[in-house]
Amino acid sequence: MKPPKKVFSQHEAEQAHTTSQSQSQSHTETEFKEVEDLLRHDALHTPVPPSIAQRLEESLQQNPPPKLPWWRRFFKA
Amino acid sequence: MTEQPSLEMPGPGLSTSEFAEKYEEHSRAIFYLCLRLLSDPEKAQDATHDVFLKAFRKMDQFRGESSWRTWLYRIAINHCRNLQQAWNERHMLSNSDEALFENTAARVDSPLRVLETKELGQRIQKALDQLPAEYRLILLLVADKELSYEQVGTLTNQSSDAVRGKLHRARKAFASFFQQTS
Repeated sequence: MKPPKKVFSQHEAEQAHTTSQSQSQSHTETEFKEVEDLLRHDALHTPVPPSIAQRLEESLQQNPPPKLPWWRRFFKA
Repeated sequence: MTEQPSLEMPGPGLSTSEFAEKYEEHSRAIFYLCLRLLSDPEKAQDATHDVFLKAFRKMDQFRGESSWRTWLYRIAINHCRNLQQAWNERHMLSNSDEALFENTAARVDSPLRVLETKELGQRIQKALDQLPAEYRLILLLVADKELSYEQVGTLTNQSSDAVRGKLHRARKAFASFFQQTS
Protein backbone atom coordinates (compact mmCIF):
# COMPACT_ATOMS: atom_id res chain seq x y z
CA MET A 1 0.00 0.00 0.00
CA LYS A 2 1.26 3.42 -0.84
CA PRO A 3 1.64 5.47 2.32
CA PRO A 4 -0.93 8.27 2.34
CA LYS A 5 0.37 11.77 1.84
CA LYS A 6 0.56 14.11 4.79
CA VAL A 7 -0.40 11.49 7.31
CA PHE A 8 1.02 13.62 10.11
CA SER A 9 -0.58 16.95 9.27
CA GLN A 10 -3.20 17.38 11.98
CA HIS A 11 -1.29 19.79 14.16
CA GLU A 12 -0.93 22.45 11.46
CA ALA A 13 -4.54 23.57 11.75
CA GLU A 14 -4.37 23.12 15.48
CA GLN A 15 -1.40 25.44 15.71
CA ALA A 16 -3.19 28.20 13.82
CA HIS A 17 -6.17 27.76 16.12
CA THR A 18 -4.16 27.95 19.33
CA THR A 19 -2.18 30.94 18.11
CA SER A 20 -5.29 32.97 17.45
CA GLN A 21 -6.81 31.72 20.68
CA SER A 22 -3.81 32.75 22.77
CA GLN A 23 -3.84 36.22 21.20
CA SER A 24 -7.48 36.76 22.02
CA GLN A 25 -6.99 35.43 25.55
CA SER A 26 -4.10 37.70 26.42
CA HIS A 27 -4.41 39.56 29.73
CA THR A 28 -7.20 37.31 31.04
CA GLU A 29 -6.51 36.26 34.60
CA THR A 30 -6.82 32.55 35.17
CA GLU A 31 -6.71 30.71 38.45
CA PHE A 32 -5.18 27.26 38.84
CA LYS A 33 -5.85 25.26 41.94
CA GLU A 34 -2.91 22.90 41.47
CA VAL A 35 0.44 23.13 39.76
CA GLU A 36 -0.65 20.23 37.55
CA ASP A 37 -3.62 22.27 36.29
CA LEU A 38 -1.25 25.03 35.26
CA LEU A 39 1.01 22.55 33.46
CA ARG A 40 -1.98 20.92 31.73
CA HIS A 41 -3.13 24.33 30.56
CA ASP A 42 0.37 25.11 29.32
CA ALA A 43 0.61 21.77 27.51
CA LEU A 44 -2.75 22.35 25.85
CA HIS A 45 -1.58 25.73 24.58
CA THR A 46 1.82 24.51 23.43
CA PRO A 47 1.39 23.46 19.81
CA VAL A 48 3.52 20.73 18.33
CA PRO A 49 5.54 22.25 15.48
CA PRO A 50 4.35 20.73 12.18
CA SER A 51 7.96 20.41 11.04
CA ILE A 52 8.40 17.41 13.36
CA ALA A 53 5.70 15.48 11.52
CA GLN A 54 7.22 16.37 8.16
CA ARG A 55 10.68 15.23 9.24
CA LEU A 56 9.28 12.08 10.81
CA GLU A 57 7.38 11.20 7.68
CA GLU A 58 10.56 11.54 5.64
CA SER A 59 12.48 9.44 8.14
CA LEU A 60 9.83 6.72 8.19
CA GLN A 61 9.91 6.42 4.41
CA GLN A 62 13.54 5.35 4.75
CA ASN A 63 12.76 2.94 7.60
CA PRO A 64 10.37 0.06 6.87
CA PRO A 65 8.50 -1.17 9.96
CA PRO A 66 10.35 -3.98 11.75
CA LYS A 67 9.15 -7.47 10.90
CA LEU A 68 7.49 -9.39 13.68
CA PRO A 69 9.40 -12.42 14.99
CA TRP A 70 8.37 -15.67 13.30
CA TRP A 71 6.43 -16.92 16.33
CA ARG A 72 4.32 -13.77 16.49
CA ARG A 73 3.59 -13.99 12.77
CA PHE A 74 2.70 -17.65 13.30
CA PHE A 75 0.17 -16.89 16.05
CA LYS A 76 -1.27 -13.95 14.14
CA ALA A 77 -2.09 -16.12 11.13
CA MET B 1 2.84 -18.48 5.18
CA THR B 2 2.67 -15.61 2.71
CA GLU B 3 4.60 -12.56 3.66
CA GLN B 4 2.41 -9.49 3.76
CA PRO B 5 3.78 -6.19 2.57
CA SER B 6 5.37 -4.57 5.59
CA LEU B 7 3.24 -1.43 5.38
CA GLU B 8 0.08 -3.54 5.74
CA MET B 9 1.22 -5.31 8.87
CA PRO B 10 -1.27 -4.64 11.68
CA GLY B 11 -0.87 -5.08 15.46
CA PRO B 12 2.44 -4.41 17.21
CA GLY B 13 4.13 -3.90 13.84
CA LEU B 14 1.96 -1.00 12.75
CA SER B 15 1.77 0.38 9.24
CA THR B 16 3.01 3.90 8.63
CA SER B 17 -0.52 5.30 8.60
CA GLU B 18 -1.41 3.42 11.81
CA PHE B 19 1.75 4.75 13.39
CA ALA B 20 0.72 8.23 12.25
CA GLU B 21 -2.43 7.84 14.34
CA LYS B 22 -0.26 7.08 17.36
CA TYR B 23 1.74 10.19 16.57
CA GLU B 24 -1.39 12.34 16.44
CA GLU B 25 -2.56 10.88 19.72
CA HIS B 26 0.65 11.20 21.72
CA SER B 27 2.90 13.79 20.07
CA ARG B 28 1.58 16.71 22.11
CA ALA B 29 2.38 14.94 25.38
CA ILE B 30 5.80 13.79 24.20
CA PHE B 31 6.75 17.16 22.72
CA TYR B 32 5.64 18.97 25.87
CA LEU B 33 7.66 16.64 28.09
CA CYS B 34 10.77 17.04 25.91
CA LEU B 35 10.30 20.81 25.77
CA ARG B 36 10.04 21.24 29.50
CA LEU B 37 12.79 18.73 30.30
CA LEU B 38 15.26 20.14 27.80
CA SER B 39 14.25 23.82 28.10
CA ASP B 40 14.94 24.31 24.42
CA PRO B 41 12.33 24.27 21.61
CA GLU B 42 14.84 23.27 18.93
CA LYS B 43 16.20 20.37 20.96
CA ALA B 44 12.67 19.37 21.93
CA GLN B 45 11.72 19.15 18.25
CA ASP B 46 14.73 16.96 17.51
CA ALA B 47 14.05 14.83 20.57
CA THR B 48 10.37 14.32 19.69
CA HIS B 49 11.33 13.27 16.18
CA ASP B 50 13.95 10.87 17.54
CA VAL B 51 11.59 9.39 20.15
CA PHE B 52 8.96 8.52 17.55
CA LEU B 53 11.56 7.21 15.13
CA LYS B 54 13.01 4.98 17.86
CA ALA B 55 9.51 3.77 18.72
CA PHE B 56 8.85 2.97 15.07
CA ARG B 57 12.09 1.05 14.72
CA LYS B 58 11.51 -0.86 17.96
CA MET B 59 7.83 -1.58 17.52
CA ASP B 60 8.54 -5.31 17.45
CA GLN B 61 9.79 -5.00 21.05
CA PHE B 62 6.54 -3.43 22.26
CA ARG B 63 4.69 -6.28 23.95
CA GLY B 64 1.57 -4.42 24.99
CA GLU B 65 2.32 -4.83 28.70
CA SER B 66 2.19 -1.05 29.05
CA SER B 67 0.20 1.52 27.14
CA TRP B 68 1.65 3.23 24.08
CA ARG B 69 1.71 6.46 26.09
CA THR B 70 3.80 4.90 28.87
CA TRP B 71 6.12 3.22 26.39
CA LEU B 72 6.69 6.48 24.49
CA TYR B 73 7.26 8.34 27.74
CA ARG B 74 9.90 5.79 28.74
CA ILE B 75 11.74 6.28 25.45
CA ALA B 76 11.43 10.07 25.80
CA ILE B 77 12.67 10.13 29.40
CA ASN B 78 15.71 7.99 28.54
CA HIS B 79 16.42 10.04 25.44
CA CYS B 80 16.23 13.37 27.29
CA ARG B 81 18.27 11.95 30.17
CA ASN B 82 21.02 10.91 27.77
CA LEU B 83 21.01 14.36 26.21
CA GLN B 84 21.10 16.04 29.60
CA GLN B 85 23.97 13.85 30.79
CA ALA B 86 25.89 14.88 27.73
CA TRP B 87 25.41 18.51 28.70
CA ASN B 88 26.34 17.90 32.33
CA GLU B 89 23.18 18.55 34.19
CA ARG B 90 23.17 22.01 35.66
CA HIS B 91 20.79 21.63 38.59
CA MET B 92 21.68 19.44 41.55
CA LEU B 93 19.56 18.98 44.68
CA SER B 94 21.50 19.54 47.86
CA ASN B 95 20.28 19.19 51.44
CA SER B 96 20.21 22.95 51.80
CA ASP B 97 17.97 23.18 48.74
CA GLU B 98 15.54 20.72 50.31
CA ALA B 99 15.50 22.78 53.48
CA LEU B 100 14.74 25.84 51.38
CA PHE B 101 11.72 24.10 49.83
CA GLU B 102 10.45 23.04 53.24
CA ASN B 103 10.68 26.57 54.63
CA THR B 104 9.41 28.30 51.56
CA ALA B 105 6.66 30.84 52.01
CA ALA B 106 4.62 29.53 49.08
CA ARG B 107 1.46 27.71 50.06
CA VAL B 108 0.53 24.66 48.04
CA ASP B 109 -3.14 25.05 48.80
CA SER B 110 -3.33 28.60 47.52
CA PRO B 111 -4.36 28.83 43.89
CA LEU B 112 -1.87 30.07 41.32
CA ARG B 113 -3.24 33.18 39.63
CA VAL B 114 -1.67 34.02 36.34
CA LEU B 115 -2.28 36.49 33.58
CA GLU B 116 -2.61 34.84 30.22
CA THR B 117 0.35 36.30 28.43
CA LYS B 118 2.85 34.97 25.99
CA GLU B 119 5.34 34.88 28.85
CA LEU B 120 3.44 32.20 30.74
CA GLY B 121 5.39 29.39 29.12
CA GLN B 122 8.65 31.15 29.89
CA ARG B 123 7.67 31.58 33.54
CA ILE B 124 6.76 27.92 33.81
CA GLN B 125 10.05 26.96 32.20
CA LYS B 126 12.03 29.18 34.57
CA ALA B 127 10.33 27.64 37.59
CA LEU B 128 10.79 24.09 36.28
CA ASP B 129 14.45 24.75 35.49
CA GLN B 130 15.10 25.56 39.14
CA LEU B 131 13.63 22.29 40.35
CA PRO B 132 15.68 19.15 40.87
CA ALA B 133 15.36 16.93 37.80
CA GLU B 134 13.33 14.31 39.66
CA TYR B 135 10.75 16.81 40.91
CA ARG B 136 10.45 18.31 37.44
CA LEU B 137 9.81 14.92 35.89
CA ILE B 138 7.29 13.89 38.53
CA LEU B 139 5.30 17.11 38.11
CA LEU B 140 5.24 16.80 34.34
CA LEU B 141 4.15 13.15 34.41
CA VAL B 142 1.52 13.63 37.11
CA ALA B 143 0.09 16.51 35.08
CA ASP B 144 -0.79 13.99 32.37
CA LYS B 145 -4.24 12.76 33.33
CA GLU B 146 -3.71 9.57 31.36
CA LEU B 147 -1.08 8.37 33.82
CA SER B 148 -1.81 6.88 37.24
CA TYR B 149 0.51 7.33 40.24
CA GLU B 150 1.53 3.70 39.72
CA GLN B 151 2.54 4.40 36.12
CA VAL B 152 4.44 7.53 37.16
CA GLY B 153 6.18 5.40 39.79
CA THR B 154 7.11 2.78 37.19
CA LEU B 155 8.46 5.45 34.85
CA THR B 156 10.53 7.04 37.63
CA ASN B 157 11.59 3.74 39.27
CA GLN B 158 9.86 4.20 42.60
CA SER B 159 6.68 3.31 44.42
CA SER B 160 3.46 5.25 43.98
CA ASP B 161 3.71 6.26 47.66
CA ALA B 162 7.14 7.75 47.02
CA VAL B 163 5.69 9.65 44.06
CA ARG B 164 2.91 11.07 46.24
CA GLY B 165 5.43 12.14 48.88
CA LYS B 166 7.75 13.84 46.43
CA LEU B 167 4.86 15.40 44.55
CA HIS B 168 3.91 17.41 47.59
CA ARG B 169 7.40 18.86 47.87
CA ALA B 170 7.66 19.36 44.13
CA ARG B 171 4.41 21.37 44.10
CA LYS B 172 5.60 23.51 46.95
CA ALA B 173 8.97 24.19 45.35
CA PHE B 174 7.41 24.93 41.96
CA ALA B 175 4.86 27.33 43.46
CA SER B 176 7.64 29.19 45.23
CA PHE B 177 9.83 29.50 42.15
CA PHE B 178 6.87 30.34 39.94
CA GLN B 179 5.81 33.22 42.18
CA GLN B 180 9.34 34.58 42.01
CA THR B 181 9.08 34.77 38.23
CA SER B 182 6.13 37.22 38.25
